[in-house]
Amino acid sequence: MMPTQSQLRLRTVLFWMVPLALLAVPLLVNSYVQFIVNSVLIYALVTLGFNFVIGNLGQLAFANTAFFGIGAYASAIATTSLGLPWLATIPLAGVAGAIGGFLASGAALRGIRFYYLAIITLAFGELMRWLYVHAKSVTGGTDGLSLPRETVMGYSLTDDRVKFYVFLVVTVLLFKATLNLLRSHVGRSIMAVRENEVATASLGIPTSRVIVTGFIWSGFVVGCAGSLFALHTSYVFPESFGMLHLIISFAMVLVGGLGSVLGAVLGAAALTVLPEYLRSFPGMEELFFGLIVIAVLLVLPQGLASLLRRVSPIFVERFYRE
Amino acid sequence: MKRTMKVFAGLLLIALPATAEETTGLTEDTIKIGVMAPFSGNAASYSKAEIGMMAYYEKINEEGGVNGRMLIAVQEDTACDPAKGLAAVKKLISQDEVFMLHGNSCSGVALAIRPVVEDAGLPWVIAHAASDSISNPLAPNIFHGLPTGSANGRAMAEFVLTRPDTKRVAIIEHSNDWAHSYSDPARAYLKEQGIEPVADQTMERGQTDATAQILKLREAQPDFIIAALYEAETAIFLRDLKKYGMSDIPVMGTAGTDLENTLKRVGDLETVQNYFVIHSYIDSLEGAGLKPWGEMITKYYPDEQLSTFSFASLGSAVAVVEALQNAGPDLTRSKFIAELEKINSLETGILSHPITFTADDHQGVKGSAVAGFVDGRPTVLRAWGERY
Repeated sequence: MMPTQSQLRLRTVLFWMVPLALLAVPLLVNSYVQFIVNSVLIYALVTLGFNFVIGNLGQLAFANTAFFGIGAYASAIATTSLGLPWLATIPLAGVAGAIGGFLASGAALRGIRFYYLAIITLAFGELMRWLYVHAKSVTGGTDGLSLPRETVMGYSLTDDRVKFYVFLVVTVLLFKATLNLLRSHVGRSIMAVRENEVATASLGIPTSRVIVTGFIWSGFVVGCAGSLFALHTSYVFPESFGMLHLIISFAMVLVGGLGSVLGAVLGAAALTVLPEYLRSFPGMEELFFGLIVIAVLLVLPQGLASLLRRVSPIFVERFYRE
Repeated sequence: MKRTMKVFAGLLLIALPATAEETTGLTEDTIKIGVMAPFSGNAASYSKAEIGMMAYYEKINEEGGVNGRMLIAVQEDTACDPAKGLAAVKKLISQDEVFMLHGNSCSGVALAIRPVVEDAGLPWVIAHAASDSISNPLAPNIFHGLPTGSANGRAMAEFVLTRPDTKRVAIIEHSNDWAHSYSDPARAYLKEQGIEPVADQTMERGQTDATAQILKLREAQPDFIIAALYEAETAIFLRDLKKYGMSDIPVMGTAGTDLENTLKRVGDLETVQNYFVIHSYIDSLEGAGLKPWGEMITKYYPDEQLSTFSFASLGSAVAVVEALQNAGPDLTRSKFIAELEKINSLETGILSHPITFTADDHQGVKGSAVAGFVDGRPTVLRAWGERY
């Protein structure tokens, strides 16, 4: 059931009210919980960007971790080598990620799809990791790069509470921009490509350009998330951008709901918070984690977002495909 | 009078949090210690390195604790991942409220958490991660209770040059920071002695054949080879070295390889008879010197399959207990740090070299012994042909 006009208005109010309510979080939690909340914001962006390509654009592409690493390294290099303030490096990291997205879309432009595209984009990710290790003079090689300590208007950026406010603003802006993009002509074209690329082309829509745009936006969002991650850990090194990260991001997309913007938040929150609860079972975490992910996908194959859709039509996303 | 009271109240408010932080994690009869290790993930096998300290705490508790206080270990998983390690350390500091930190196995994680620990000000004694950058530049509250990469790398080169007539030294290594942490100080020591490596070869992780590297080494005709390789690649390298008839050239390996395990991997003694490894302990795994320590570990952890990793954190644990003891019953973090800095030439009974901390140098162990096969038996050596 689609939401009514009043429910749509309520949804808009909720979109802004939830972040406003979240402003109180740093006053209520300790440094550890704050760190986890900050992680959720970062992974919500990672999932949003990843979902944009595989859920909205419908391309089986796995360059997400590459974009994340590119963004993180762009920020780290810009702060350590160029001396830029970290805040200024967020858009820079987004642009670097977008360039990564453009490069990754090259294979899709040549008509490569499905498993072949998956393998090529996976290779792109590994190629980037090779670059992080071997371009030592720029990336610090396997030693990685430590971000310098900074302050913004007198507030230390090493403080998780200060980071939270910056992360929250960036996350809300990128979610809003993604929702707007999905509602635009470009967004509808992106989803038309997902539904039937040939039929879309027959309507005179340049599908190649649409695919490139999808990858670029995904790269931009995940690149920005990489920049936040660089500050979050204050340390960037190649092992953070490996296959394990990719698998977890993919699981976040599926657990949240493929193609769902709301699902990006839910998937990221669930799979960031859950492992922290499982800390109490050293050595068993991976087993429990795996079982819980399997259970969620068996019971809710359309992800956690589908659960909320059952509760209220407010959570029904207009362009979401059941 | 009112003004005096206000000033007094203000001073009290300032002093209270400081006092609370100084004694955080302490009760009348317990000391809460945060232990970090990779209990999950690809590097989970490194969590063995923390078992020694856990067993030692159990032993101390059984003997009545330290100044009447029991040592309570709170374990947290880092998964050898910086983000997860940061979450672990923040949980230990702000949620579990431990008195001090002990442990951690992965240098990448240790480097990521260093600023957090430094800011929090609680003492951290590193038990396994070897990167020099964790404790250098000096942080007032961070101590390295094991030989660092530079100490081990230097010890490797020192041992190599104790072999008579060794002039031509070759190096083969992985292209990661772990390998560089051994090879760079080894190179520096060789340079001090006027020796430039005759060959520098790279073998990537996961490589299953070392023919290309060995052919290059054969051209260079080295007297000794320094190999900064993980155990799996070391086994492949030694196997191929034998295949090309070069197994008479001695090879010096890192602390990341275990002598007995390497023998198990290659399957025959002839292949490893000229292989030597950095060995931080006074005796070999089966030797009488390590036997009581091994018995202590298996007493509290009966399922533990002993390897050299099982003993890695024991030296630092002895230093921690020594400093806690000396700090007395009115323990504070500052007193404990001051007592650590007073530790001078502490013979731990497990490490081959003593531990000395000073106010200016928190890297406590400055050398390592070497282990190799002598008459077919693993033997700890001080220098070429000289038993420990």
